[in-house]
Amino acid sequence: MNLFAFTTIFAQAGKGLGEFAGDYSSKWDAGTYDGGLVFAGIIKWLVTTWGVPEWVPLSSILNGVLEASVFPEIGALLITIGLVFGFVNIFAIGAVWSERKVSAHMQCRLGPMEVGPHGILQTVADGLKLLAKEDIIPRLADKPLFALAPAIVFAGVLMRFVPLPFGDQLIASDLDLGLFFIAAVGAVEVLGVIMAGWSSNNKWSLFGTIRTATQMVSYEIPIGLAFITVIICSGSFSLMEIVNQQGGSLNASDGYVYGGWIWHWNLFRNPFMLVLSITYFIASLAECKRSPFDLPEAESELVSGFHTEYTGMRFALFFLAEYAAMYLVAAVAVVIFLGGWWSGIYPLDALGLGPEATTLTKTLGLLIKVGVFLSKAFALVFVQMWVRWTLPRIRLDQMMYVCWKVLLPISLVCLIGSCLWELASGGASVFGFGIVVE
Amino acid sequence: MIPCAYFMNIFKVARSIWIGMGITLKYFLNHKKTLCTIQYPREKDLIPARHRGIHYLETEKCVLCWKCSDICPVDCIYIEGVRGADGPLQGGYRGQKATLSKFTVDYTVCIFCGLCEEPCPPKCIWLGPEFDYHSTDRTMMEKNLLSDEVYTESDEVFVEWARGENERLQEEKKKQKEAEKAAKAAEKAAAVAVAEETPAEAAEETTEEASAEAAEENPEGEGDAAE
Repeated sequence: MNLFAFTTIFAQAGKGLGEFAGDYSSKWDAGTYDGGLVFAGIIKWLVTTWGVPEWVPLSSILNGVLEASVFPEIGALLITIGLVFGFVNIFAIGAVWSERKVSAHMQCRLGPMEVGPHGILQTVADGLKLLAKEDIIPRLADKPLFALAPAIVFAGVLMRFVPLPFGDQLIASDLDLGLFFIAAVGAVEVLGVIMAGWSSNNKWSLFGTIRTATQMVSYEIPIGLAFITVIICSGSFSLMEIVNQQGGSLNASDGYVYGGWIWHWNLFRNPFMLVLSITYFIASLAECKRSPFDLPEAESELVSGFHTEYTGMRFALFFLAEYAAMYLVAAVAVVIFLGGWWSGIYPLDALGLGPEATTLTKTLGLLIKVGVFLSKAFALVFVQMWVRWTLPRIRLDQMMYVCWKVLLPISLVCLIGSCLWELASGGASVFGFGIVVE
Repeated sequence: MIPCAYFMNIFKVARSIWIGMGITLKYFLNHKKTLCTIQYPREKDLIPARHRGIHYLETEKCVLCWKCSDICPVDCIYIEGVRGADGPLQGGYRGQKATLSKFTVDYTVCIFCGLCEEPCPPKCIWLGPEFDYHSTDRTMMEKNLLSDEVYTESDEVFVEWARGENERLQEEKKKQKEAEKAAKAAEKAAAVAVAEETPAEAAEETTEEASAEAAEENPEGEGDAAE
């Protein structure tokens, strides 16, 4: 599935990246939702609305550069990459700290308390330490593969952020095959992990790699089935479109989605979706190698699994990729089940939408939507941590049993059940509400 | 037929996960009450009463008998001082006077056996509750029990000074005693001279005796002279 996907994806990605810098500002002004508006669109809009302030040195030149037609194509691309990369880094710093805090509080400890208030800068200090560490490559390692592996793992995670929205219209590139892209590029991470484990020339690394490959390839199937069910129900691969459909009320006269109530979310679309969201969450834990599926990194058996031999910044990249993947699976769950940026409260959702919206309400509405999206994703990340510090690691055979004998049949039943429900009810939710056309 | 064991298995797992997650969430939400750890260097836990930690010395009680350093199985107690001089750091017990110029314990060697406590006649050395003695340098691991601080170079200066001071005081005392005895002898001699006819020879003999006595009263370097 994934190899075939790749050829399709690159065509799609090329098209998306070409498109995304095109006419975003006109789309923003029109308030339409049928395009790939980018972060840079927001920046350009901010600049054209307010401009670079006068007190900034060389403000006239900067304004000129920002207004220039060359800037959007390259500049927007770089800004988008920078923003996504920066977000991943900042998220990882915060998540590592909060993971340590969550684990400490669940075990009657305090956790990091020394660096900054309540140890909030502990991860920054650790990151600086990792930067200064010696980069050791074992003598018998396959050096090119060993050096390349962390980059590929991290790139595999970062690439999956491309079709992932952060809020209303805040998306790097709204690919038509967004969910497909996320499922397909997930395979790149496995490739990087296999490279890391094989090139390390270490028995623990190799065992960790074999486990990782087994696990990640197996658990792609329940995840894929969850994706397929959502795609069948919403009729689109695009993450923006899936979220917009969960917005509920579609105004027939002007074609705007004004947001809806909590029962418009995919989670409550039918009873099978409720079950499917749980199977997706379990499979996503295995996909990003979190406990209780942390067999690839089982400390007590394999030292550290596939990254046993890695030091310094290369190790930090693996670590960063792991935390980025945590956010990614949580955000995908938010998009496909939990209503994306819709808060589930109609007046809050409708703020800043439609032709009457002013600059102020647009900005306010955007900020609320970003906040809602991020808080939903962070709540799921907290659940991942909560599970990690509650459940012990399971055995390899149990892991395979859960995937092939529990999650797969349940997912298949839910897929068929969802299809039948859609046919029978015509898109009405558990509560009996469908998309309202006013 | 429905495979009941299969569904029961899933149900049991789900139920146990639910219970387990409830427990951890309860601990997470009440973490301020359930806290078991302390912020160690700033907060300290209760130490048991019989804990054997860092030594403490009640200087004014010490009689300079060297028993603690004699019994020490690893010889980590170093004592310097004199008895019978009114020196800079004065101790005393049952009328005896001891002047300490150095009393240190080397914690790179000490095994905290507590044997030094037992033979001490005035029970003036004891192992305290503190356990966190640390340093960045080996030479810093010697504690000066006279000041309850690390034994440093300034202590060395003090020891040198106190040693000199003690010797000076000792000498002064000796001279004073000699002078007193000489005076007494002179008085005696005068009295004898009044009584007898050969006073000069008797005076010479008594001064010799007095200096010998003074030498005996300076027991530097001897352990059980206090008995």
